Amino acid sequence: MKKFDYYQPESLKEAYGLMEKLNGEARFIAGGTDVIVRIKQGALHPDALISLRRISALKGLGNEDGLSMGSMTLFRDIERDPAIARDYPALGEAASVLANPQVRNVATIGGNLCNAAPSADAAPPLMVLEATLTIEGPGGQREVSIEDFFRGPGETCLEHTEVVTRITIPKKRKGTGMAFLKIGRVAQDIAIANAAALIVVENGVCRKCRLSAGAVAPVPLRLKRIEGIVEGRKIEPDLLDRVAEMVQEDVSPITDVRSTAQYRKTVSGILVKRAIKEALDRAG
Amino acid sequence: MKKLIRFTLNGHEVSAEVESHRMLLEVLRNTFHLTGTKEGCGQGECGACTVLVDGLSVDSCLYPAFEVEGKSVTTIEGLVEEGSRLHPIQEAFVEHGGIQCGFCTPGMIMSTKALLDENPHPTDDEIKRGISGNLCRCTGYVQIVESIRKAAEKY
Repeated sequence: MKKFDYYQPESLKEAYGLMEKLNGEARFIAGGTDVIVRIKQGALHPDALISLRRISALKGLGNEDGLSMGSMTLFRDIERDPAIARDYPALGEAASVLANPQVRNVATIGGNLCNAAPSADAAPPLMVLEATLTIEGPGGQREVSIEDFFRGPGETCLEHTEVVTRITIPKKRKGTGMAFLKIGRVAQDIAIANAAALIVVENGVCRKCRLSAGAVAPVPLRLKRIEGIVEGRKIEPDLLDRVAEMVQEDVSPITDVRSTAQYRKTVSGILVKRAIKEALDRAG
Repeated sequence: MKKLIRFTLNGHEVSAEVESHRMLLEVLRNTFHLTGTKEGCGQGECGACTVLVDGLSVDSCLYPAFEVEGKSVTTIEGLVEEGSRLHPIQEAFVEHGGIQCGFCTPGMIMSTKALLDENPHPTDDEIKRGISGNLCRCTGYVQIVESIRKAAEKY
């Protein structure tokens, strides 16, 4: 494996200072389950890694006015958090099926987003929950909607010197139901396709619909066109069938070792449809 | 870049001078000669290198050695009890044939330890989820799950 230096700053200021000193030849690393694998595969060749694990400002999970998670929150902790299971089950479910226990014990939600895999399991639930990412760098802080964060496979709107510090989710409205679904070859595998739905129902009519599909386009998708069709209507079998068809039109998957493009298209529509049904059951 | 790292290894305080690009797996095998922990895929898929860091299962092939500073690491060698008696999980694997070629066994047993420490009476589904990060190339999963079920009875 390529040799690299490894720095462990204890504050963001120290991290930015290191990045500046290393003239951008370094890379930030969170849990390492993606970055280390890519270095071993020869896909990344950093001279140095700057670990974010010791920076306390990036930790902590709060659930007062909505949900606020430090970017270094472990999937292990999201999976086990009772407030997330109660109020944001789509996120808890995604955390519980991401890879395997060994990975969830070190992998972080911020790392999963910054790795920007189209299949990232954390992305669809955060999309339907309309999460905001707080991004910080030596130049200051900015907030970006998760929808605007992904730019392509492995690409985000982050500058090389910036880190995601926090992920915030607005408070859950009454009558909200949500779900996350994933299909993979085996339990621990990367998704062939995944999807999340969030529904707000009042008097049997869908007042709000948020839909997202992953692993079926260069970035995790928000399916706005389809959301517009569902909102204001009663969710019935005919409508769900139409949704599944529309998803097939809106995705642009690839064929790879895990699946063919055609299968991804079909199964993506089915997952979105099932996620809406499950969200509807929970909206009760 | 090199650094002296200090940590607890199977209950003993240890230190080692380590290069910054080394993973915990390499330090365990090459510096401390604890070769019970295996390297399978080297990419966090197979779990043969599973050890416990502060009680949590991790793939030691992806765990930067520098990160282990101040932490407590348990390997398969650390499970053997006083008087060289096997740990109940190890005994259950021996008694119920949860071993074929044996390469995945140390990792399977460490994942089982992490599972049972948190959930001493898992359902079969919870057992399968608990070892979902460990691959057995001999595909002897039925006996492995049975071994874990039996180990849980004594836990």
